Amino acid sequence: MTVMQQSSGGGKSSGNLYEVLDLILDKGLVIDVFARVSLVGIELLTVDVRIVVASVDTYLRFAEACNRLDLTSSGGVGLPDLVGGTMESGSHGKAKGALSGAAEAISESFQRGRDDEQDKEKQPVRRRRTAKKEGDE
Amino acid sequence: MSTYVYGIVRDNEVLDAAKLTGVGEPPAEVRSVRAAGLAAVVSTAPEGLRAKRRDLAAHQEVLVELARHGSVLPMRFGSVADSEEEVAAELERSRDHYDRLLTTLEDRVEVNVKATHIEEAALRLVLTEDEGLRAENERLRASGGGTPAERMAFGERVAEALEDLRARGSEAVVRPLRAHAEQVVIGPPVDGCLANVSLLVHRDRLDDVAQEVNGLRAALGELMDIRLNGPLPPYSFVTEAAQTG
Repeated sequence: MTVMQQSSGGGKSSGNLYEVLDLILDKGLVIDVFARVSLVGIELLTVDVRIVVASVDTYLRFAEACNRLDLTSSGGVGLPDLVGGTMESGSHGKAKGALSGAAEAISESFQRGRDDEQDKEKQPVRRRRTAKKEGDE
Repeated sequence: MSTYVYGIVRDNEVLDAAKLTGVGEPPAEVRSVRAAGLAAVVSTAPEGLRAKRRDLAAHQEVLVELARHGSVLPMRFGSVADSEEEVAAELERSRDHYDRLLTTLEDRVEVNVKATHIEEAALRLVLTEDEGLRAENERLRASGGGTPAERMAFGERVAEALEDLRARGSEAVVRPLRAHAEQVVIGPPVDGCLANVSLLVHRDRLDDVAQEVNGLRAALGELMDIRLNGPLPPYSFVTEAAQTG
């Protein structure tokens, strides 16, 4: 049973309380004849994310975050394959496949993570050089 | 004096209420109200009870402990009856319904999986997938970010692409998990998560779910953070809606 509490922060049997807050507050049995204590302010937790995402601030933040991304690094290359593959193959068989090769995949992704870091270290230098060149011209 | 209700179990379940501590400060003593072969696990409701961390944890702890011993119908946090007599009357009134639910949930637990995009990886992916977005990003970057209107328009397109990616990601996470569940309830996108799914699973299949989640992490872990919570009391499976869904 304890195996399952993978994301639990504390050692308590309930695991990570914050992670299951929506269940404790919004699910569970409701009996009409009983009252419920006031939860003013708490409902904000489950605000539909689409309301937050469709805002001017979010648009600007996304635009700036994209501008900062360096797509010439190899970071993004593996992801479309992974996502597309998992979803297009009806996923269950694929996930099982991924499971048997899990250890391999994990070590690969660590490797890829390291490569990314190396790329990131190299990248700024290259960019600075380009910028300088432009400035010189 | 009003009565705080944690959950409903069968009267013959092991009820070592002495070990349990309830809501309030100091924690209230937990006891049982027995009627109709059922037992409601309750404590005296403290004055001015609010959804504080301590009380939410107490509610959860009582239910986790009860679930360890057998089938339990968890109440939503904050349920308060006028009196123990009212609780007993409710057990009598709806005994068949509760009995059926307890039978359905025997040896079953809830497992909740939440997945959230790692934002940088998700942005990288939508730009990689969409040549038009990538070109616009390069253009804006070359012109020092572009005008506010251009940035807005671009950001909106990115948001739409992200929403599409979220929907696909949700499907990728939820679909393989369904195979292990007897019932599935999709929760709201709390804190911007792309998937919030609760599964009702037999205890014997908990390891299968854990393995499936590990497989998902191996496949998708660079793009999203996938959290597994459970076993939990079956919060998402005690309403009529959940039974038909």
